[in-house]
Amino acid sequence: MGRRGEPYYVEAAPPVDVNKNTEWFMYPGVWTTYILLLFFVWLLVLSVSGCSPGAAWTVVNLAHFAITYHFFHWKKGTPFAADDQGIYSRLTWWEQIDNGQQLTRNRKFLTVVPVVLYLIASHLTDYKQPMFFLNTIAVFVLVVAKLPNMHKVRIFGINADI
Amino acid sequence: MVRLPYVTALTTLFSYGLLFAFGQLRDFFRRILDARKPSNLKGYAPICLGLEDFYTRRLYLRIQDCFGRPIASAPDAWFDVVERYSNDCNKTLHRTTATTKCLNLGSYNYLGFAAADEYCTPRVIESLKKYSASTCSVRVDGGNTKLHTELEELVARFVGKPAAILFGMGYVTNSAIIPALVGKGGLIISDSLNHNSIVNGARGSGATVRVFQHNNPAHLEEVLREQIAGGQPRTHRPWKKIIVIVEGIYSMEGELCKLPGVISVCKKYKAYTYLDEAHSIGAIGKTGRGVCELLGVDPADVDIMMGTFTKSFGSCGGYIAASNEIIQHLKLTCPAHIYATSMSPPAVQQVISAIKVILGEDGTNRGAKKLSQIRENSNFFRLELQKMGFEVLGDNDSPVMPIMLYNPAKIPAFSRECLRQNVAVVTVAFPATPLLLARARICISASHSREDLIKGLEVISKVGDLVGIKYFPVEQEKTTAVDKLKKIQ
Repeated sequence: MGRRGEPYYVEAAPPVDVNKNTEWFMYPGVWTTYILLLFFVWLLVLSVSGCSPGAAWTVVNLAHFAITYHFFHWKKGTPFAADDQGIYSRLTWWEQIDNGQQLTRNRKFLTVVPVVLYLIASHLTDYKQPMFFLNTIAVFVLVVAKLPNMHKVRIFGINADI
Repeated sequence: MVRLPYVTALTTLFSYGLLFAFGQLRDFFRRILDARKPSNLKGYAPICLGLEDFYTRRLYLRIQDCFGRPIASAPDAWFDVVERYSNDCNKTLHRTTATTKCLNLGSYNYLGFAAADEYCTPRVIESLKKYSASTCSVRVDGGNTKLHTELEELVARFVGKPAAILFGMGYVTNSAIIPALVGKGGLIISDSLNHNSIVNGARGSGATVRVFQHNNPAHLEEVLREQIAGGQPRTHRPWKKIIVIVEGIYSMEGELCKLPGVISVCKKYKAYTYLDEAHSIGAIGKTGRGVCELLGVDPADVDIMMGTFTKSFGSCGGYIAASNEIIQHLKLTCPAHIYATSMSPPAVQQVISAIKVILGEDGTNRGAKKLSQIRENSNFFRLELQKMGFEVLGDNDSPVMPIMLYNPAKIPAFSRECLRQNVAVVTVAFPATPLLLARARICISASHSREDLIKGLEVISKVGDLVGIKYFPVEQEKTTAVDKLKKIQ
């Protein structure tokens, strides 16, 4: 990257976000790291199990579903003792980012990623059952959880309050 | 504004992701293994939820030996660091009786008053014999000695304000004064990188708190306009008062505040200004009077000036300097004055002597020499570090210089390797800094000689090569390449 072997520099302006749990997401390189991580996990699954690329993408999609659902939409509060008097202790990470603002660039990006994964996985498995069904559930739950109307909604009281 | 190579940003995010994943895995197995143990809580709620101290348990404790190292001598230019060992991967640390003499690049010993001084120490010992170590009383009862009143007048004269008030602890000065100055119905606008004491004081005051982008007077104006137009939340009544809080030198950035810009914006919108000079008083400015002197701002334009005695004056405690009316009001309402024990008399005497040395009233020019020494030392050190290719933050003349590390693994690597080569540095990570911007913070002192600085530079350069933190191209190589081109031409 860069000319004549010089590294490519980015500027990291300190964001005004006071929530230390989410401000790391405003720095450069986060989106690229996320995408590269998914790609390398796919390569890993492919090399370890030797299955078809489509099945590997399904595995990645389902693992991505499990991990991001748990950390973005299930875990509430902050993983460190911030002296903010627990104002975030009832909010999941998704509800905390960008200070609760909806439809920001970060949120749109994070909503698009499961959809893209779904399209790749379904296409490469030729829309065959049962993988198609599992992939559809994954993308449906993730996208619905990220809709602006679902902000602070707890269906049937699941995951409400500590 | 930090510039980092893109690859470094990616690897730092990946490293934190890996540490986070491993921490979660260990927590998961710990929960399974502990499910069989009977709980001895018997109906009580747990003191802390498992998720709140995840960072402390799984990230901080792994490199605990880099923080909180005990020292066994006065924090002069060279000091003794106690060696510690651990038998369980840093969960518990044990002290040994062995100490190593290390170069001190971490103490806020800006003017060298931390160790025994030929003018201050005899007077401090005298005051210890006369007034004893503690007043054992609050200022309003029996704890107001002659020394305290003398120091208040001296501080007011030094800073350039009509009156001053003292407190026994620097942190408490901010967190107890701000609630006494502004309450519910008021507005506090503070810089986004303000110290925790200010954040705590602002939260404790009950006023509405808004944050403006670090050192950006234009954004401050935007925030002021928006808030003045909107008024108090929900009722939209006008604010009772507005205070803007900034710091002289930001201790994690080493940057100076853009004070003239901030003052002009505040004057335009009739907001009060509160300047926290904890790191800048006594360390910068031609006669050591802080950031106002350095940037040419009249102290009468800043409404409240706060400072601490722990950095440049080698003592403990803090002060507030303001107009007579404000100080009188604080003396009657501030709980830190009415209920807290007054400053220890030897500590007060230390500050009095230190200020006299700085002002030259002890009959020598040691004060002026110290001030020019720290300026030269800081500029020399910063220039050399930048020439070597490190990313060093901070403005010229500022004695605080953070060296960026970024990757979480480089924090313990840098700290431990420097200690092995007898240089003690302070490394700072999340949550004192943003997650990705971990740094090693160097504080230069007037008591560092040129040889000490050169030794420090050598060690840091070697360790920097080993750890891989020279993110910028080395300047010497550039000049030799240009020379080669010139020769060819």
